[in-house]
Amino acid sequence: MIPGPLRTPGGLRGSGRHRIAGRFRVRVGLVIPLALLGCLFSPLTARAQSAREIIDRVDQLMRGESSIALFTMDIQTENWDRSLTLRAWSLGTEHALIRVEAPQKEAGTATLRADQEVWNYLPRVDRTLKLPSSMMAGSWMGSHFTNDDLVKESRLIDDYEIEIEFDGTRDGVEVWEFLLVPLPEAPVVWGKIRYQVTKEDLLPTWTRYYDESDELMRTMTYSENRMMGSRLVPTVMTIQPADKPGESTVIRYHELDFDVDLDQDFFSLRNLRRQR
Amino acid sequence: MDNRWIWWRLAWRNLWRNKRRTFITASALAFGYLASVTMIGLWNGLLTEMIETGTNLITGQLQIHAPDYYPERSMYATLGGREGIDVEELLRLTRDIEGIVAASPRVYGGGLISTGDETVAGLFIGVDPDLEVEVTRILQTPVEGRAPKAGEREILIGRGMANILDVGPGAEVVLVAAASDGSLGNDLYRVSGVFETGSAGLDGSFGILPIRSLQELMVMPENRIHEVAAAVEEPFAAPALGDSLAVAVAARGLDYTVAPRPWTVFRAELAEYASLAGAVNGIVVGIIFIMAVFGVANTMLLGTFERRREFAVVRALGTEPRNVVLTVVYEGFILGVIALAAGVLISVPVLYWLHNYPPDLSNLFGSFTMSGSVVRPVLRAEYSLDGPIYSAVALLITSILSALYPAYKAVKILPADALADI
Repeated sequence: MIPGPLRTPGGLRGSGRHRIAGRFRVRVGLVIPLALLGCLFSPLTARAQSAREIIDRVDQLMRGESSIALFTMDIQTENWDRSLTLRAWSLGTEHALIRVEAPQKEAGTATLRADQEVWNYLPRVDRTLKLPSSMMAGSWMGSHFTNDDLVKESRLIDDYEIEIEFDGTRDGVEVWEFLLVPLPEAPVVWGKIRYQVTKEDLLPTWTRYYDESDELMRTMTYSENRMMGSRLVPTVMTIQPADKPGESTVIRYHELDFDVDLDQDFFSLRNLRRQR
Repeated sequence: MDNRWIWWRLAWRNLWRNKRRTFITASALAFGYLASVTMIGLWNGLLTEMIETGTNLITGQLQIHAPDYYPERSMYATLGGREGIDVEELLRLTRDIEGIVAASPRVYGGGLISTGDETVAGLFIGVDPDLEVEVTRILQTPVEGRAPKAGEREILIGRGMANILDVGPGAEVVLVAAASDGSLGNDLYRVSGVFETGSAGLDGSFGILPIRSLQELMVMPENRIHEVAAAVEEPFAAPALGDSLAVAVAARGLDYTVAPRPWTVFRAELAEYASLAGAVNGIVVGIIFIMAVFGVANTMLLGTFERRREFAVVRALGTEPRNVVLTVVYEGFILGVIALAAGVLISVPVLYWLHNYPPDLSNLFGSFTMSGSVVRPVLRAEYSLDGPIYSAVALLITSILSALYPAYKAVKILPADALADI
């Protein structure tokens, strides 16, 4: 799971109920660490919980009401490798701003997500442009994430039927493997998702995305769990497209703060253009 | 006179017993011939137009790529791979193939074109403006402004795209494209003009710019191109010419191979249409003459009944049934020959007119798209040999076929009954 703006794509969601969802989330943000603590002390309680609840916890784990992150993104493809350093701000599920800090050549290039729209700022030509919906499936900043991944914000439990597919020990660690099958009407791109979560600390270890014909499309692995912003979170995420074994995008978090002081005005086109 | 000819002479004479009837029947056949020849001519004209507009608008009739370019069309799959090629040399080699008349280098890129307020996804084609006009029409007649100039950061966009962006010639737009180094290439360009092909797909998403400008946007060196597009003299020779080019490249000892792609591959539906045309022509001819068979048979049957007593007499005098049949069939055949001569006489001027001064129905219909090709509603007939020949054979077969039943009836006449029936 990617804290802040870049998050595991659960599905596309139509607008219309964000206000309500947003209000709920204030409370969720406070509740989760407490719930998590509870889990740590009594794994049996966790076991008794439904698959839905567990997935929702993991899904929500890294969603503070707001966050600021500094991360590097190492993209490896057949044809080139590159590394970007980015800073990201997020507020709720609706607002996010990501700005390139390095390399110098691209510094200032920024992406703003606000109200289901994605805007890019290009410092070289000093223009902002709104991404047309046809480009949403396109790569974001040349990575293996799509623009869609930035926009999909709904909770997994809203769009998927969830069941425990495996419950036991793998590589010496007690884990659950969940199978997420989209609900009939859910506006999602995946045919199904498999999700492995460790029982002890309720952290994800990997997520596998399948298309409609059950073919593995990409795998996201989570590693290097560390305390950041007073939460235990995976700080390295690797996404690997299944059809290109040699390619990957690795995101490493260097700084991560949750529940910081940000308001909606911050996520403006004017701020998008502000170069650092 | 040889006895053999007697039945021909009889047939000839019978034909003119009722001049008006013969004239009308022959006219029916002659107009059938005209209809058949004209339909085939128009169909071939439409087909030629489809192939021409389908290929010389933007694709050319033959394309040359790196072997790994298709089907993914990756931007990295340039001719000669990472090292690139001597573009001039490949162009020269292409033009040297007998039957290829022009060749032009191309670079493709996908990206965004934006005014800031409006952004659309576009497919960018980088072309050499001077060479491109020899291969395709796309740069030739912008409806507004002009074609982009080599060396300038200019772009020619389609009408649909211009409408969405609400820009015209002179407007400044931002182009964003994935660059070959993984970065996001972006720069300011000026709209040099607007083209309009009538195809919504082309007009809505294509932008054409000087090849070097696109290479710069995509951070590609000058010697890396995706395609050489070529124009050929005879469209149906394109596949063979492509193969000759691949051989020529290999024979030249160049350290790369090329994969030719003729229009019959990338516009397979057009090629299928072309092969379908033969079948359709056959059906058209068939229908026209099957209709004629009944008309002619009816008339000849009438003529036969009229001469019942005559046939009865010749049979009574000892004429073999075979010869009675022959007279009637000969009669049909001669009728066919006369009709054919008349048909050719009327078809020649009609075809000439339809070929040289085709009626233009653009005012009534506007252009339409067929199999992805824009076709003008111009009734232009294309000359062909097979059309008139098939039609002629069909006409003669028709005239003989339609004589068979009357002939059978003639033989079946019982002399005694016919003569008794006064």
